[in-house]
Amino acid sequence: MNLTNGFAFTCPFKTNSGNKALEHLPVELASLNAFKPLIITGRDLAGRNSIRTLTHAFGDSGMTLGLFDDIRNTADLNVVEQIRDFFFKGQYDSIIALGGGVIVDVAKTVNLAAALKTTDARQLSEKTAIPDPLGPFVFVPTASVTGMETSKYAVLNKKTFVSMSLMPDLVVLDPRLTKVKDGKTIAEAGLAALGRTLEACAAPDANPFMDAYALAALRFIRENLVGAINHCGNKKAALAIANAAAMSGCVISNTDRNVLYRLGQIFQNVVHVHPGVVIGMCLNTVLSDYMKQDSRLVSVLLRPLTTEDEYASTPEDKRADRALDTLNKFMNELYGALKGKMPRTIQEAGIPRYLMDDIFDVINQEPDGAYLRTVIDRAGSSSVKS
Amino acid sequence: MILPDYYEFCCRVKIVAGHDALEKIPALLADMGSKKPLIITDKGVAAAGLVDIVVNALKDGIAIGGIADNVPPDSDLRVVNQLAGLYRDNGCDAIIAVGGGSVMDTAKGVNIVVSENATDLMAFSGAGALKRRLKPLVAVPTTAGTGSEVTLVAVIKDHEKHLKMAFTSYFLLPNVSILDSRMTMTMPPFITAMTGMDALSHAVEGYYCLQKNPLSDAHSLAAVNMIFKYLPAVTKNPSDKDGRLAMAIAACLAGISFSNSMVGLVHNLGHATGAVCGAPHGICMATILPYGLEYNMHKREEIIAELLLPMAGEAVYLKTPKQERAQKVASLIREMNQELNALTGGRHPRCLQEIKDRDGKPLVPREILPEIAKAALSDGASIYNPEDTDYEDNLMVLEAAWEGKPLDRSKVKKG
Repeated sequence: MNLTNGFAFTCPFKTNSGNKALEHLPVELASLNAFKPLIITGRDLAGRNSIRTLTHAFGDSGMTLGLFDDIRNTADLNVVEQIRDFFFKGQYDSIIALGGGVIVDVAKTVNLAAALKTTDARQLSEKTAIPDPLGPFVFVPTASVTGMETSKYAVLNKKTFVSMSLMPDLVVLDPRLTKVKDGKTIAEAGLAALGRTLEACAAPDANPFMDAYALAALRFIRENLVGAINHCGNKKAALAIANAAAMSGCVISNTDRNVLYRLGQIFQNVVHVHPGVVIGMCLNTVLSDYMKQDSRLVSVLLRPLTTEDEYASTPEDKRADRALDTLNKFMNELYGALKGKMPRTIQEAGIPRYLMDDIFDVINQEPDGAYLRTVIDRAGSSSVKS
Repeated sequence: MILPDYYEFCCRVKIVAGHDALEKIPALLADMGSKKPLIITDKGVAAAGLVDIVVNALKDGIAIGGIADNVPPDSDLRVVNQLAGLYRDNGCDAIIAVGGGSVMDTAKGVNIVVSENATDLMAFSGAGALKRRLKPLVAVPTTAGTGSEVTLVAVIKDHEKHLKMAFTSYFLLPNVSILDSRMTMTMPPFITAMTGMDALSHAVEGYYCLQKNPLSDAHSLAAVNMIFKYLPAVTKNPSDKDGRLAMAIAACLAGISFSNSMVGLVHNLGHATGAVCGAPHGICMATILPYGLEYNMHKREEIIAELLLPMAGEAVYLKTPKQERAQKVASLIREMNQELNALTGGRHPRCLQEIKDRDGKPLVPREILPEIAKAALSDGASIYNPEDTDYEDNLMVLEAAWEGKPLDRSKVKKG
């Protein structure tokens, strides 16, 4: 890590994690000067039980809650405008996004639209100047997350809004909501966080503050992800992965041009595949490229990927190779635990040729499109189904 | 990594670090809609030429609304009100605090008055009385130690009414902290050593005290590693630019850790030693830290042992048998004090009995230890200490720290 060039780092959100974390919400909202929150969620995506658990947590706090629970995967800026209208008419003063993925993209964009009082949400463009601060914004994840919920990005209608002010003020991780029903859901979340965070640590612009979040996230993933897949009832392991996913959003917001992040987004936007699936496929290829560039970039990954003893006993010049070996072993174990429920290559994913062409169209518009394409090729698109 | 049953972690401060980080302030203020900052500092900082460096870095980018260098060593309500008047009279719209703990406290107090249009600061004291964002505050720490650039508390004294007001709110966190190597470059070795050890005490206590959590842990591990790597180097060679920047970063990491995980016995006894004897805070931390670790070791052995690798590196880690790693951590901190003692020509004390005033008179005579042990009973820091403490425990740890000899752990009452 080279500090001489200087750096900037921000993590605007507070993390509350653990038993009865939701019950702290009234006090936390009051400390943000918020007393009438609107819950934005999807009853099918986040589940009715989650909504019930969240609303019950307000008990006799006296707070008035609003609920918009009709976010679906197809949500767009029209929905944002609809919720913005609901937000104003109900005179809400804050937003609680319950769930993950598209729900949070919508909720962040509603927060933006609500701050831009005169703008119709449908008119929002990537050029819209994003105010700082926006209104109080709380994110309450369920198990089904992408890790981007806590980030500075919001993506809707193929538009990407970017600002640190889009990040939540507070993230509430409650084991009643982050528990999982199937291994695939948690594997997707874990892989997305793992890949983006590992690449961020290897990148030349890493800094110690970002690294602190990354280290905590990576250790949680290493110690809990396979267990969480094998034992879906393990609430603590699932909570650890939810923590890691939330931390990874902070990491990704403090680094630039992360290849795995961008590939994950492109596949998600074009073919609606969870970014974790794609990141899992491309992780080894991208890190091997970092290795070719400078093995020291990869050698720093050994510490979060292994035990203190193994790290200490590995000579410095062997750390990069050992880091990749350790990662490969971990990935094999993980895919093994998934028992074929997640494709390991793009070929296995069975993405039809015409959709791959759409993906390549988007990739070609990226400044390093030629490189990204080689990553995809090596991750197994050469024999996609026609 | 331990996932506690429940934890909270928060540091919303934007960190901007570098050899030319000060030059970024105008753009950072512009992003927050500010055009005319008031600089708040103290005479010592100004005399060291640090305010000139700040002004030079700013002058082409922004109009400075005033420079107030009259912050006393102990924060004072009258000064807070006077500076708030200056802020209003000069039409300022942001505050840049350049200095240590008292300057930061004062700047936070001024910010409450000007943002809330407060006539009575007392109305905002306590925890959570502030309900909205204050005016932009940029913190420029001039020591690498206190971590006050990332803390959410402010203490303001009303010397006329003999009142001490404490304010706690996330809204008191500075918006931005600027870690610039030029701000600590002129710090003499003795101060460098003591402030660096203050930072180490934050990182280490933050790592084993009761409110520790995965994020405070990660900040502590990074801080411990950087402090052991760079503190002797900058004490030896004050103009080591990269080392100075690394220490500023390490102190900030440690500040983030302890303000989330809280601290324990070491700070408890250190505060009391400072209050009873007037010994500088950093020195109290440096001399008491190894013994606080030893006192808590039976409850936190595995956790303390985890500090060995970042502290000493692979060779020492591998050479030390597992069961001796925690004790080795305590020994290495004693050795660090020893090394700093040598590097400062004997000025950095290795134990409480070596703390002296300007005239060379011992500041902490042995017979005063019972008074310190008693005073420590009323300090809140002990709540977060892993092992319960009482008067005898306090005295036992103080005696060991006074002599500079490892604590006889067989005498620790295990609760």
